[in-house]
This record gives sequence, structure tokens and C-alpha cells, in this order.
Amino acid sequence: MTLDPIHPAFSVVTLAIPLFVVTIILEIVLGRFGKAKATYEFRDTATSLMMGLGSNIVGALIGGFAAATAIYVYIHYHLLEIPMTAWWAWVAVFFLEDMTYYWFHRFSHERRFWWAAHVNHHSSQHYNLATALRQTWTGEVAGTWLLWLPLTLIGFPPAMLAIQKGISLVYQYWIHTEAIRKLPRWFEAFFNTPSHHRVHHARNPRYLDANYAGILIIWDRMFGTFVAENEAEPPRYGIVKNLGDFNVLRVAFHEWMGIAKDLAGSRSIREVFGYLFGPPGWSPDGSRDTSHTLKAKWLAREAAQTAVKPTEPETVPLVAE
Amino acid sequence: MKGVDTVINPLLLQFGGSAVAVALMVGIAAWARISRPVAPLDPTTARTLLAIDYPDLVPDVVWISADTRGAIARAGKDALVLYRLGDSWVTRHMPWDKALKAPIRSGHIRLKLADPSAPMARLAVSGINPWPPEGLKEPQG
Repeated sequence: MTLDPIHPAFSVVTLAIPLFVVTIILEIVLGRFGKAKATYEFRDTATSLMMGLGSNIVGALIGGFAAATAIYVYIHYHLLEIPMTAWWAWVAVFFLEDMTYYWFHRFSHERRFWWAAHVNHHSSQHYNLATALRQTWTGEVAGTWLLWLPLTLIGFPPAMLAIQKGISLVYQYWIHTEAIRKLPRWFEAFFNTPSHHRVHHARNPRYLDANYAGILIIWDRMFGTFVAENEAEPPRYGIVKNLGDFNVLRVAFHEWMGIAKDLAGSRSIREVFGYLFGPPGWSPDGSRDTSHTLKAKWLAREAAQTAVKPTEPETVPLVAE
Repeated sequence: MKGVDTVINPLLLQFGGSAVAVALMVGIAAWARISRPVAPLDPTTARTLLAIDYPDLVPDVVWISADTRGAIARAGKDALVLYRLGDSWVTRHMPWDKALKAPIRSGHIRLKLADPSAPMARLAVSGINPWPPEGLKEPQG
């Protein structure tokens, strides 16, 4: 059997669209009748789904550039012959693509230029299956697809990578739910789950910049970004500064507008670089909060609260005189 | 043109079908009425909500909008602004002096928040609940 290494035989995400529709309706109906934990605000839902539809349209319009670059690199420069029909090739691409996704996702949170393209996915204050479809319109422009080029250069066919990326995206869809609390321990240990990903979507300082995994949570455990969901502190979803309305254009472009505003007021190359590639919230005088400062302040408050917590008074037996 | 059609037509079909599905899902979400319950805002609730985003600032005064969907709190030289979005809340801060001078149009205070992600807050004001509140009309020294 041969498979076309350039053009994927099918689009995993397109095939999954009916599944998205059916499961979102199912989650709403189960939530309506109290059979599952689910909250939906219809304007929030509309915004999420419009972002998903818009992302598809933008992908069709300008996604060709990234695909053409990958194909060009593969045809002219690939180092190894990796057959699409070999089982070991699929095992290898599964792990390598998933690790690439981890780093893409981490950059997308920790550097403002790429955060600007990714923030929209986190802008809902709800966490449900519709939130999963709140996808970027500007990811292609931000150039994060470049991170996958080394895999093409090694020799993984573009079609193989496209299929694996689709599998990863569809995997990550079902974990956007509050309906599933915890899965078996072995599964939580190795795989990204609703619990792990709730942490990722939370804006509580405790949970910021954590759990970047795509399919396997092992990368977060290996690279020190894993945070477990704490039953005592439910996640509050959204972003540190939540959006002021449901306007899809604001959802798609607000961070880019913020960058433009900051660049217009920049006074040095250092400031330009900091506003573009510093962590989200970076400012020259440190007057704004980054995830790091928010976490540090939270830890300081926790420490202060622990320090002043009254100790149990010693019980002194009352002795009748 | 036939080659173009074989690409364009399935795409148009997919996007058209997706648009119909989006409308269906939004309609079902509206029918289900499973948004989070939100109680009318009172000063205690406003303080609690503001403390989430501004844990280091303690407001001394809290003004609640006429429709109980928003609040402005004074914390030193800052005005902490809180307003409802659907079943959720949005907070921002701005200089108290600027909040005092915010214009009132069509029964709403219009607070310019200088933030592309939430450029404007509109809070309802009424005669029995005027803005600025009595005794707080003067800017802080």
C-alpha cells in the first residue's frame, strides 16, 4: 500500500465536524436536564463557534502558505526516507509531533507575539465543548507553524504530519468539559485529561502557565509545568483581564491591538523587543503584571496568611478552687 | 475552471453547513438556559468579586449601578470598575479622578478604560443613585 506523502488522504478535523456538533448538543442537553455539569451562555457560545468557523475560513484562505512551505522543504531538503506505511513511523510522529505541540503551546503562552494569536482560545469565561472550537484567526500569520518544519526536514511527510496534527486537535476537543471530573489514575498520569486542561484554562494565579500538553501530559511533568487540579480551588476560567464584550473581532485581534498601542509608545529597541517577545504583561517599568508576578504575589499572600493563622490555644484544665 | 470548482464547491458546502450547525447549536444553548445564576450586585458581592482581581487593594467606598449590573469602588487613587458580561464579570481599574469626570449619556456613565480588550464600561445611573455619590465628588488629594 502506498499513501501520498504530500496530500493527506483525508482531513481528520473535517471528518470530526459532525462529532463536534453532536457532542456539543449532547453536553447542552445533559446540562439542561442536570445529568452533567455544563454551563452555556448563548452569546459566549455564539462567539466561540463563530471563532471556530472563522478560523476554518481563514485557514482555507491563507493556510496554503504554510502547507506549501512544508511541501517545498520536504521535496527539496528532507534528510531521511520515512515511509508512511511503516508502523514505527506513526509511533515516532505521534511522540515527536506531540512534543512539538507542547513547545508551540508553551511559546504561545509565554511570549506575547504568539500569545496574541492564541489568547482568543482562552478568552471565554466558560469551559465547555464549544470553548474548544474558539480557535485562532491569526496563528498562520504569527508563524508558529514553523516549529513543525524540523519534522518535515527530518523526513516526516507533510501528509503524515497533517494527519497527526488533526488527530491531536480532535483529541484536545473532548477534554474541554466540566462534565468529566477525573479519569483513572493511570490515564491521568500519562494523558492530557479534562482535569489537567481545566487547570490550563484557569486564571487563578495558582494555575497560570501550566499544563501545555496536547495529547500526553508527560511533557509537562518532564519540563516542570505540570500543576494538578486542586479540589479546594475550582478553576476560574478566562484570561487575567477578561474581555469586555462578545465581539468576535475583539476576541480575534485585541492583543494585536494592545501590542500596536504599546509599540506606538515605545522609546527604545529594548522596549520594542520587550513588548513583542517579552511575557504577556511585560512593561518597561514593571508596572503591569505577568504570570510570574501574579504567581509571586499569590505565593506571598499565601505565606502571609499562613504566618498570621492563629494557633490553637492550649487547653488549660479548669480547676475549681 | 472545473479544477477550481472541485476545490471551491466542497469548501462552500462545508462552510455553509457549518454556519447552519452554528446557528442550531447557539439556538439550543439559548433554549437550554444553563448559564450561571447571577444575583443582583450589592456592595458585599462587588467587594468579593473585585478582591479576586485586585487582592491587594481594599475599597473604602463601593457604588452600585442603578441596574445592579455594575459597580465602581474607590481604592486609594484608583477606581475599580466591575460590570456584568452575560453571566460573568469584567473588571478594570482607572484613575479615580477620571472616573469622577466620566460623562453621563442616556442614563449611563461612560467610563473609558484605555484597554483594547475592554475599551468602555457603561454603567446605569439614576436620580436616586447618582454618580458621583454624595461626598465623593471631589478628586482625591
